[in-house]
Amino acid sequence: MRALCEEAVAAALAGGASYADARAIVRRSQAISTKNQRVDRVDDVESEGIGVRVLVDGAWGFACDRRLDEAGAREAAGRATTFAKAAPGKHERALAPIEPARDEYRTPREQDPIDVPLGDKIALCLAAEEGMQNPAVKVTSAFVRAMRERKTLVSSEGTVVDHDLVECGGGIDAMASDDEISQLRSYPSAHGGSSRGAGWEYVLGLGLEREAPRVGEQAAALLRAPVCPSATTTAVIDAEQMVLQVHESTGHPTELDRVYGTEAAYAGTSFLHPGDLGSLRYGSEWMNITADPTTPQGLGTFGYDDEGVPATRTPIVESGVLRGFLTSRETAAKIGSGHGGSMRADSWSRMPLVRMTNLHLEPGEGTLDELLAEVDDGVYFETNKSWSIDDKRLNFQFGTQIAWEIKNGKRGRMLRDATYTGVTPVFWGSLDAVAGPESWVLYGLTNCGKGQPGQHAHVGHGASPARFRNVQVGVAPS
Amino acid sequence: MTKALELAERAVAAAEGDGVEAVVQAERSGFARFAGSEVHQPTLIENVSIFLRVIRGGRAGAAASNRVDGDGFRELADRAGAAADASPEDPDLAGLAGTSQLPDVDGNDEETAELGPAEQARLAADAITAAGEMPVYGFFTSGAATVAVATSAGFSDEQTSTDAVAVALAATESVSGYAEQTAWAVRNVDPAAVARQAVEIAGRTANADALPPGSYRAVLAPYAIGELLQYFAFDAFSGLAYLEERSYLCGKLGERRFDEKVSIADDALDPRGLPKRFDFEGVPKERVPLVEDGVLRGTVWDLASAARAGDSQRSTGNAPPPAERRWGPIPFALSLAGGEAESVDELVELVGDGIYITRVHYLGIVEPRQGILTGMTRDGTFRIRDGKLAEPLVNLRFTVALPDVLAEVPGLTRETTLANEAAFYDERFAYGALVPAIATARFDVTGAGGRPGI
Repeated sequence: MRALCEEAVAAALAGGASYADARAIVRRSQAISTKNQRVDRVDDVESEGIGVRVLVDGAWGFACDRRLDEAGAREAAGRATTFAKAAPGKHERALAPIEPARDEYRTPREQDPIDVPLGDKIALCLAAEEGMQNPAVKVTSAFVRAMRERKTLVSSEGTVVDHDLVECGGGIDAMASDDEISQLRSYPSAHGGSSRGAGWEYVLGLGLEREAPRVGEQAAALLRAPVCPSATTTAVIDAEQMVLQVHESTGHPTELDRVYGTEAAYAGTSFLHPGDLGSLRYGSEWMNITADPTTPQGLGTFGYDDEGVPATRTPIVESGVLRGFLTSRETAAKIGSGHGGSMRADSWSRMPLVRMTNLHLEPGEGTLDELLAEVDDGVYFETNKSWSIDDKRLNFQFGTQIAWEIKNGKRGRMLRDATYTGVTPVFWGSLDAVAGPESWVLYGLTNCGKGQPGQHAHVGHGASPARFRNVQVGVAPS
Repeated sequence: MTKALELAERAVAAAEGDGVEAVVQAERSGFARFAGSEVHQPTLIENVSIFLRVIRGGRAGAAASNRVDGDGFRELADRAGAAADASPEDPDLAGLAGTSQLPDVDGNDEETAELGPAEQARLAADAITAAGEMPVYGFFTSGAATVAVATSAGFSDEQTSTDAVAVALAATESVSGYAEQTAWAVRNVDPAAVARQAVEIAGRTANADALPPGSYRAVLAPYAIGELLQYFAFDAFSGLAYLEERSYLCGKLGERRFDEKVSIADDALDPRGLPKRFDFEGVPKERVPLVEDGVLRGTVWDLASAARAGDSQRSTGNAPPPAERRWGPIPFALSLAGGEAESVDELVELVGDGIYITRVHYLGIVEPRQGILTGMTRDGTFRIRDGKLAEPLVNLRFTVALPDVLAEVPGLTRETTLANEAAFYDERFAYGALVPAIATARFDVTGAGGRPGI
């Protein structure tokens, strides 16, 4: 693959490019799911190809080809340079300098997740489903996924980096329903479970079978639970929902391409401005957000990003103050700070974009019970159900699968259909406690959408449960 | 482009099983995405993917690949077979699509299929130029996507669908407006006109006012009602969701729940949309009534959900692309019938006092069974006073039960617009909702966001 990438880069330079990079990828992924004790899906997918990105007179061009041969490499390079030359307008682009790397990176693993027999994966799902059975539960499902990817990046500046990556994950869902309503419970995370950049040992360690009875029982119990009442009150949010809160209200707004408007027509922009760096108060002193592509087992863990920038831990918010952005080499040069490191493409057929890698809410101290103990009246939220946030990443509304009222420092009644809403810096300003490292959990999301044509990024987030005061809870639906 | 049907038939021939199904998706497309009036994310894609599903001994498994050489086919067949062998037996597996009479449809335009990077860049430039001094953000894209399906039960056919989409967000820090056009023939897409419309809307959004939460009468432009309807439809009009009791239609079939002016169908045969002859399982497309004169009539089905439903339920030809098959059948060609209003102004007059919404953003399904959605308005939200469009408003958060929105509908425009609903993830599959502008007596605003602009 290295030779093909070099061929593509050479062809691009010969075609008039001042800069070029090529990524060749061979990926195999498996998705297995069972539903109501039957196999729902056993998919084993392989995809390979090469993507070539060029700069011609300051204009980007990108083209790809599924053929991993010389013709595919050369033709992709040719189309990319043609597209760049045709781009309207005057262009001027600089890239932050990097030291060209010649290196390789391999995800640490005990057992390659692709090598685990499909039959074992199916059996694991069926066993997990078994535990969720409950008369009120109408649909149970269990799912696991595995991925192995070989990727080579070559640039015209001399970067040559090989990656050998694996991912895997899983989860379970139980949906209970009666004549009027339906209620869903999931473990370990909603919307497809959770994944990590790790071997199959991660999936085995999830304990899907162990957690299944609780998930089934809670789904059934939610049918009888009262609707979460509307109030301005204290919200304690579990680590899983905090992950999405971090993702939507700190991850996306700090993507510097959004700050510069390049996602404006689709995913939106950001309430942040380049000049906010180092001065904007994002939240309370308890708020510490870090981008860290070196986190062990993170879905955003790598040796180098898709521009060849080495993985580096970067503070984004420190004690509530904005300290960093997620950047590309281009946006880093534009803002005059940093060197990139967050450029990722979801496949060989897409151009790299500024994406989250692993973005964490750093732990504070204490336990969840200690967070609850200091709440006279409030709501404890657990496991995301719905999410929405405006185009500047300010006004958000989240719903969770389950909630409990908090009375006099302890969990009380179970509540259903709980939502909370807020405005990003106000909400983070109301943060007054984050639980400690023992409560910190690393999750992996595989459905982060961005770009046109669209791309699904796989990102990692770690968080502990956190407490927020004066939160608008329970927006009343129509 | 590779001959997709030939590849599908080769894949079927390479596999061993009691039943074999191959779906080939071949794509040639270009995306000239621009921001601040400059192309920044140009993407040219050429790809072929083959999905192969094997059934043997009552066991089913699938594999996919984009390798089309001899070894690629052999390995694909081996992996699909291994996936099937690993699965437990399922006595109720649905059958495969057999031969059938396919409808004739439009939807394949040679001029659109042949657009190359230079033309795609030029059409993006048309939008940028037409916007003049106002920065624009958006894209022009066109593509040709061929779907070929071959099954051991006798189905073997392919269809090539073309699409062209122009999107423009005209915006500064204090104003923003949005417009788009989608069609299967590029001659019906005018990027310059799209940009001019976006600029015109943006010009009316300066100094936006806040609006207190509450229930308002509203006019929803096609882009807004199209997206709301598509999100609602994922669960409400899915046969699988109906069986799994996630659908709003559960227990309500045959009941009049919407205004009698509301009729909704899934109609992939309509030449005003993005027509298709068959779905991703090889089942012929048809017009599927979902709501007639406000009465809830039915849902869409694929082979698996129809088999599970029993009672002679058949597939309505709504199997999604292989990568989305786990979600069950999806209505990808929603069509909300137009009404009698000759213009949006007439709807505004009908509403009298309320709000006008150009576009919605980042919808979330709060509660599928009740059809509750949340999201934000953007790029052109206005107050309606005395039957006329009045001052611009800030972006508004809404949390609405779509059945409430459709329960009382003072009017709909006669003219319908094809609203693009595709974000072009994975293999190219363009789809949209054919919708009019609609007036509603109830739209629940639950909060306020920032002013228009980027």
